[in-house]
Amino acid sequence: MVRIEIDRHRCEGHGLCEQAAPEIFRLDDEGEVELLVPEDIVPELRVQAEAGVRVCPVAALRVRR
Amino acid sequence: MTSSSLRRIVVVGGSIAAVTAAEALRVRGFDGDITVLSEETSAPYSRVPLSKGVLCGKETPDSALLPPLDGEVSLRLGTRAAGLRVDRRRVVCDDGDEVPYDGLVIATGARARRLARPGQAGEHVVRTLDDATRLAGRIATAGSVIVVGAGFLGMEVASTCTDLGLAVTVVDRDPPLRRLLGGWLADLVVGAARDRGVRFVRATRAVELAGGQEVTGVRIGDRVLTADVVVSAVGDVPGTGWLADSGLPLRGGLVVDDRCRVAPDIVAAGDVTVSGRPGGEFRRSPHWTSAVIQGQVAAATLLHGEVATLPRPDAYYWTEQFGLDIKISGEIPDGPAPTVLAGDPRERSALLQWRRNGRGVAAVSVNHRMPIVKLKRLGAWASAEPG
Repeated sequence: MVRIEIDRHRCEGHGLCEQAAPEIFRLDDEGEVELLVPEDIVPELRVQAEAGVRVCPVAALRVRR
Repeated sequence: MTSSSLRRIVVVGGSIAAVTAAEALRVRGFDGDITVLSEETSAPYSRVPLSKGVLCGKETPDSALLPPLDGEVSLRLGTRAAGLRVDRRRVVCDDGDEVPYDGLVIATGARARRLARPGQAGEHVVRTLDDATRLAGRIATAGSVIVVGAGFLGMEVASTCTDLGLAVTVVDRDPPLRRLLGGWLADLVVGAARDRGVRFVRATRAVELAGGQEVTGVRIGDRVLTADVVVSAVGDVPGTGWLADSGLPLRGGLVVDDRCRVAPDIVAAGDVTVSGRPGGEFRRSPHWTSAVIQGQVAAATLLHGEVATLPRPDAYYWTEQFGLDIKISGEIPDGPAPTVLAGDPRERSALLQWRRNGRGVAAVSVNHRMPIVKLKRLGAWASAEPG
């Protein structure tokens, strides 16, 4: 199982995760990142999730395997 | 060779553009060998926290590391590319090893410009994780610092040093931040810096480093300023030295077209690149977002050639300094005051927009959280999108 972790203290709302993986990440009206899928993601979404995680400039996102 | 017969792809470089390209190759279904050659001894990391969290010691160097690449990518650290043989499709490493490729991604980034004379020690720069950790150790015990260069990096370093209680002097030939933020917004940020005690010195002549073997300050004509620490933040130089004899097009950087192509089966991404603009000028766009987008486009072009989709121009960048979290979309015109769409600039929290002929050309949020997509619609995208 693969799990997405968000460190909300580090997140600065750049929204690059949303751009890279719009099926997984979204920024709400306050600029807070939210997940569109359960934290424990299905294997088919792993590659997209990692793409969204890696573009975060402030390392606020992690994927744990 | 057609792109479908690519079996071995070599990525030269170890930063976000390189890592993004390597990953994008896999996302797009490439199942051949990927080798990433990085001259750094550290695993790939983000430069973004180097001038902030890592520098002030609040964040560990490890926290800047990018998520590790998949096991199916071979990452060779401490391997510096010394030359490129395009005819034989080989990267020549400085240890003499030659790495063959069918497809090549060049993402060798840039190195910091320095002001020190040959042999002169003690000048600090902030480009690599090592640079930042070394400087962090130094400013933890120092009382004063001179920062040469008042761009984003120099001002972020100055801000961090101010937070640590150092006496900070910023030296530049140009007015601080003016070229990047325009006069109006630059004044706002410089005001915040002055409120926190930063001293600005306008260099009317070339800035040199003072001192003998060891840097002790800076010299501007006859005037000498001294400090415990001197940091140069005077730009960077694209990492094209190893390509000098390659025959690839160099114009102050490696020339790419709008699909990140350099030559057949060779693409490039990130700080090493320049692209042609109308008027025959070549320009760099050394920002995080362009490195990411170029990394993705470069991978697509290498695999799919003409069918790779063009990136949408995405002029988005940001800075954090002197208590101001500033996010920018578009190019801010120098001079005019913006329209205040929300908040109050006097309170240093606002959403600002610059317009030309009734359309937004730039939008900036200052300590004002909002979805970035909205900021982009008010800024860079407003002038690019029809309607």
